[in-house]
Amino acid sequence: MKQIQMIKNPPFSLISTNKIIQMSDVSTSYDSRNFALEKINLSIDRGTNYAIVGQSGSGKSTLLKLMNGMMIPSNGTIKIDYITPNMNNKKFKKMMHTIGYIPQSLGLVKNITVLDNILIGALPRLNKIQSFFKKFPEHEITEAKRIISLVGLTGKENRKAYMLSGGEKRRVAIARALMQKPTILLADEIVSELDHVTAKEIMNLVADAQKRMNLTAIMVHHDMQLALEYANRVAVIKEGHKILEIGVEGDTIVDFQTGDLNTEEIMGMYADDTKK
Amino acid sequence: MTPKNNIVIGIIVGLVIIASYNVEANPLEFAEGLPNLGIVLEEILVLENIIDNMKYVPTALWAMLETLQMAFIGTVIGVVIGLPFSMLAARNLNNKFIYAPIRALLAIIRTFPSILWAMLFVIVVGLGPFAGVLAIILYTIGFVTKLQYESIETIDSDPMDAVSSIGVSKFQLIRYVVIPESASHLLGQMLYMFDYNVRQSTILGIVGAGGIGFFVVQYIKFFEYGKVAVFMFVVLMVVLGIDWASVKIRDKYIIKSQHGVEVLAK
Ligand SMILES: Nc1ncnc2c1ncn2[C@@H]1O[C@H](COP(=O)(O)OP(=O)(O)O)[C@@H](O)[C@H]1O
Ligand SMILES: [Mg+2]
Repeated sequence: MKQIQMIKNPPFSLISTNKIIQMSDVSTSYDSRNFALEKINLSIDRGTNYAIVGQSGSGKSTLLKLMNGMMIPSNGTIKIDYITPNMNNKKFKKMMHTIGYIPQSLGLVKNITVLDNILIGALPRLNKIQSFFKKFPEHEITEAKRIISLVGLTGKENRKAYMLSGGEKRRVAIARALMQKPTILLADEIVSELDHVTAKEIMNLVADAQKRMNLTAIMVHHDMQLALEYANRVAVIKEGHKILEIGVEGDTIVDFQTGDLNTEEIMGMYADDTKK
Repeated sequence: MTPKNNIVIGIIVGLVIIASYNVEANPLEFAEGLPNLGIVLEEILVLENIIDNMKYVPTALWAMLETLQMAFIGTVIGVVIGLPFSMLAARNLNNKFIYAPIRALLAIIRTFPSILWAMLFVIVVGLGPFAGVLAIILYTIGFVTKLQYESIETIDSDPMDAVSSIGVSKFQLIRYVVIPESASHLLGQMLYMFDYNVRQSTILGIVGAGGIGFFVVQYIKFFEYGKVAVFMFVVLMVVLGIDWASVKIRDKYIIKSQHGVEVLAK
């Protein structure tokens, strides 16, 4: 059981100037009536293993889609590495090449092989002729094979994606993202449907890659335990609002009191999630 | 049965009667004319006539081969030209300023049956199979493109979104996601289109655009029903053969995955 420490003013060491993602007063909606997210403020330091936790429908996936420019906020500002996401902006488009995004559904191309799926991550580095003829340079194929062994898929390179198990599919999606040589990795509930053992394997895989490549990993979960176990920072989303943000340092949880919750409510929330 | 249904059925029956009157459909005339068919059959089915007409089998086969070649070239070239159009016509790949005019153009092409296009091409390139091939190419473009953009629009949006989020070009998205995800449909559609085009090609000869239909029309004009029968028999056999082969090819190359989606076997 982790200890909880509440601090109103975070110590200076926790304040970094190297923010890779900054959102201020961000709201967005799918229809004109309801906000899917409302007045979200958050900032993520480079190299953080960040977790977003919340119930289904709370707006987690929407938040992630704002972080790779797939959605544009209706209000507020977002900066990804100090650039405002915009598909028509050349600079941002270039940045998208190094934002690995793994949607909840994984988004694999079913009819092609594991290797071909992973090589998709290298497409931005191909010229027109190479992409027309599907001619990946030798060093890209070597890199793909290295990543395949890293995620534990050696021997399955030529298997069609639709033939894989749930765990294997997740490994392919992670490998495709790593093939992008990412600086940011966004993953949407990629272990939610897995058994406990496989979920841990996948989480360890991402955590290792995150540390080794000094990635900023932003992972959505709906299980608080997983978040506390792997992340350095956890934001809790409820009904489109960020209600809590905490730091995790070893066995200590630091509550930054960003939301309006009092101590009891926060304690209750952790207790609730430990029961599961 | 609700009163509303009764009214609808009443209207349909009424329309059939009115239309029948307008096209001078007369069951009595049909019954009276039926014996004529008997006379023709009698002529065809006499053994010595059959033996006599067998010597036209090579000609019929040769004409059928021409028909098949017309259908084959027309299908392949039509699909090759149609494929890029289907990418432009797909609503999930383009905005309406691109897909709407392309769709309108394709709809116009499909409006006229290939035999009308064949008549036009006979005027352009003269009598012969080339006019037929052009007609088939055009019709195939109109038809296969519709089939193809409809299947592109049913592609799972998840891989499209995931791969777009990498910031790949539209060409790369098509090459690496759209085509693999719709390839199984494409094979089926090509088979279907070839099958369809073979049938179409058999009648293009009527307007002088080559193929076996040309002979059939000539023989009908001169009341040589025995020869007509030989040619029709060859058409029947070849079309059945193609049907059978299509089924085999489909079974071999298009299997159902465990999720029930059509996927391409190796
Ligand atoms: N494509 C969409 N169209 C309309 N509403 C949507 C769409 N996607 C999500 N929503 C709504 O936005 C809210 C947040 O959804 P989402 O971000 O997917 O939540 P979560 O990932 O936390 O389950 C929900 O109320 C959901 O119904
Ligand atoms: Mg979600």
